[in-house]
Amino acid sequence: MSGIMRLGPRRGIAEFGTMVRDRKELYNSILGSAGIYALLAVWLRDRKVAGTDVDLSTYMMAGMMALVVFQIGLMNLPMMIAADREEGALLRLRTVPGGIGSFLIGRAVSITLAATLQIALILAIGLAVGGASLPASPGHWLTLAWVLPLGMLAVVPLGAALGALLPNPRTAGAVLGLPVMGLLIISGAMFPVTAMPEAVRWVAQAFPLYWQGHGIRAALLSDSTLAAEIGGTWRLAESAGILALWLVAGMVLAPRLLRRATRGAAGTRSPVGS
Amino acid sequence: MAYGKREVLTGVDLRISAGETVALLGPNGAGKTTTIEIMQGFRRRSAGDVTVLGTDPEKGDETWRGRLGTVLQSWRDHPRWEVGTLLSQIAAHYPSPWDSDELLAALGLTAQAKVKIGMLSGGQRRRLDVALGIVGRPELLFLDEPTTGFDPEARREFHELIRGLDTTILLTTHDLAEAERLADRIAVLIDGRIAVYGTPEELARAVQAPSVVSWQDGSTETHDPSQLAWELHQKYGGPVPALEIRRPTLEESYLSLIERSVA
Repeated sequence: MSGIMRLGPRRGIAEFGTMVRDRKELYNSILGSAGIYALLAVWLRDRKVAGTDVDLSTYMMAGMMALVVFQIGLMNLPMMIAADREEGALLRLRTVPGGIGSFLIGRAVSITLAATLQIALILAIGLAVGGASLPASPGHWLTLAWVLPLGMLAVVPLGAALGALLPNPRTAGAVLGLPVMGLLIISGAMFPVTAMPEAVRWVAQAFPLYWQGHGIRAALLSDSTLAAEIGGTWRLAESAGILALWLVAGMVLAPRLLRRATRGAAGTRSPVGS
Repeated sequence: MAYGKREVLTGVDLRISAGETVALLGPNGAGKTTTIEIMQGFRRRSAGDVTVLGTDPEKGDETWRGRLGTVLQSWRDHPRWEVGTLLSQIAAHYPSPWDSDELLAALGLTAQAKVKIGMLSGGQRRRLDVALGIVGRPELLFLDEPTTGFDPEARREFHELIRGLDTTILLTTHDLAEAERLADRIAVLIDGRIAVYGTPEELARAVQAPSVVSWQDGSTETHDPSQLAWELHQKYGGPVPALEIRRPTLEESYLSLIERSVA
């Protein structure tokens, strides 16, 4: 077991290295989110969030951070795992002692590094051109310190299971792309959810993206944004509760989904070959 | 071993000694891959006894798994990893692996150590697969249809590579020539049963199809062409006009064995 705790992170760091060195991957997923945010921040300069004196570009910074976590967990991770399965990485690692354990830890480490890098870039852009400032107090820092990892944990187990269920990365992208886009629009990541009809607001509040964004805004934006939040108040207990609920649901569901996906699955045989 | 109601393996009685190379030869669908998966502990058997390196594969732990090596059928995994990085990463899972630089040198891949795996040629990719299979110094190496889709040149290179390995090997193939070239003993698996198991010579004798004897006035199949030729000589009282005796090749014998068993 101690071997896996050493090998897993080592694998994760090497994997992260392959992502950063792969130009397509680097532009599409790692620099992409920061680039889009930079464009939006410059384009929307001086626009205020309706009913407040907060810059829209500052508001969006929190939304983009939430989106990065959500997208890595429920879109990139399932696509990566579906690709690992289709290409045969999982079957190869199954023949290696401790291989599957080190694969899982490796993936966790590599997506955490990818998320950290993207969030740091978005924060840097927000500070430079988005009119944002760092968390105002140790309390705000603390909020950021739990809401980011908890938001990640809320989506990762489910994302891993989805990756195991979906036959290949193309299908995974097609199946997951639309819901992720939809949630991005309704979850208050880009503009306040208070602009949405009541019913849509309730849908948004069922998903972790809204609560992740809400928590990040609580840490990074001043109370003057509160006018644009549901109820006009920070609901951090609810944020923690609902993200934790998704985490628990994921932990319960993921093993079942994974068992279903691997039941009767092939051994050393290639799904594409003979 | 059964999938649902369909029995897949019904009579696999196979004993492999240390240091031997054994080929499991059979047509597609005979149960070759299933046999290997059971030996690796990836598939539960419905009945029978299996012992691999002294352990029942269903109870094999990670230490046991570390004594096995596998060269998979052709894969496209880890395309973005560099050759050397993946090899040393996989090597680190084993207690006393080969040095990955030495292994790359032995397999002629030193120049590719920093190349992305997705950029390798088919032959280089295959050599890397072998490197990944043997990096843990396995006591038993599984090769599951290792040369499927190879051109003759790549096949010959691969055979030389395998013959140079110093370990016990179980390989599956549907290519008789490959089995003959690589294996000390060949087990012919047909329809879930081992029809014949022995050295290539023993196999040839056991599965010998009848020879064809033809002459001016006739043609017949016989298992004893010498006897028939002698009789014909007596009948003709001298040389037999246009006498021809054709012994079947091992391949023909093997194919006729499959036909007989399936019929």
